[in-house]
Amino acid sequence: MPDKAVTSSKDEFWLGVRDELPMMLGIIPFGLVFGVLGISSGLTPLQTILMSSILFGGASQVVFVQLWASNVPALVVGGSVSVINLRHALYSASIASHLRPLPLRWRIILGYLLTDEAYAISIRRFTNKPYSPNQHFHLLGAGLTLWISWQCATITGVLAGTTIPPEWSLGFAIPLTFIAIVAPAIKSRADLAACITAGTIAITGQNLPFKTWIVLAAIGGIVAGWSVKTVTRRPRRQDAGGPS
Amino acid sequence: MIWFVIIATGLINFATRISMFSGYSPKQLPNWLEDALSFVPIAVLTAIIAPAVLFNDAGMISIVDNTRFYAALVAIVIALITRSVLATISSGLMILWALTYSGF
Repeated sequence: MPDKAVTSSKDEFWLGVRDELPMMLGIIPFGLVFGVLGISSGLTPLQTILMSSILFGGASQVVFVQLWASNVPALVVGGSVSVINLRHALYSASIASHLRPLPLRWRIILGYLLTDEAYAISIRRFTNKPYSPNQHFHLLGAGLTLWISWQCATITGVLAGTTIPPEWSLGFAIPLTFIAIVAPAIKSRADLAACITAGTIAITGQNLPFKTWIVLAAIGGIVAGWSVKTVTRRPRRQDAGGPS
Repeated sequence: MIWFVIIATGLINFATRISMFSGYSPKQLPNWLEDALSFVPIAVLTAIIAPAVLFNDAGMISIVDNTRFYAALVAIVIALITRSVLATISSGLMILWALTYSGF
């Protein structure tokens, strides 16, 4: 007899799809803007569209096309893009215990689909709801929903690109999207230090060659945040007087 | 060349995503590394936001007569209150359009 408490793979999949839907509100305009930006930066429609499935990471794709349009050396483009995508290692570590028992083909598919938005949705299901041997279908549903909408939004942006008047300033939707992510994420002095340091380096480093200010600002912000966190934590550890 | 860079960064990104459940990794990241990685989103995104907001079309730092600066300020407040991506984008764009068309 099958255990009724165990959710089926189909239920998990559709739950993942449904949980992911509110994220579309941010993803679809972002993908549209990326499509427009890719074309206006001089990429071909095919390059822009396939970047969305090969690289599949919004912030890094935006930086990629902006750097490429400014004739930055390929190595600096690749380095900047990869530093931006380092955050995925954190999601990977956080979700690993739930995915490690799966067969390799599942881990490859779910690894490919592990974006900010799919991770955020499925980690909640993995940690807050009872275990099911089919729970990885939740991440598959969330990840595929995101993947399909990202591809459709990119293609629409590429097709609509030339018909959108530049005075609409649609490109400004990109920093606005990031403001929506960063502003609520600043919760501690360390977060604030990372934010202020990265912003200051990005502003003052504009004249550095090859737009290296992106990588330098990112690394500077990470070091500043990490340092403040490490310094402010030390006294508490001593007070506790033992491992926690 | 651009295809090479797209594919290379795509592979690196995939490797980063699968890294901790690839079967070739330690069970846990060292604490210091996890702490450092936790600042990647804020640092990276702020680095993209700051110049996009604070520079005018001529590439100069501009605050007082920069419509994007005011639009971003409103967007930050809306983001903190609503935590909604859609509300943040739409309020920021509406302020930008209102200021531009009012001849600010």
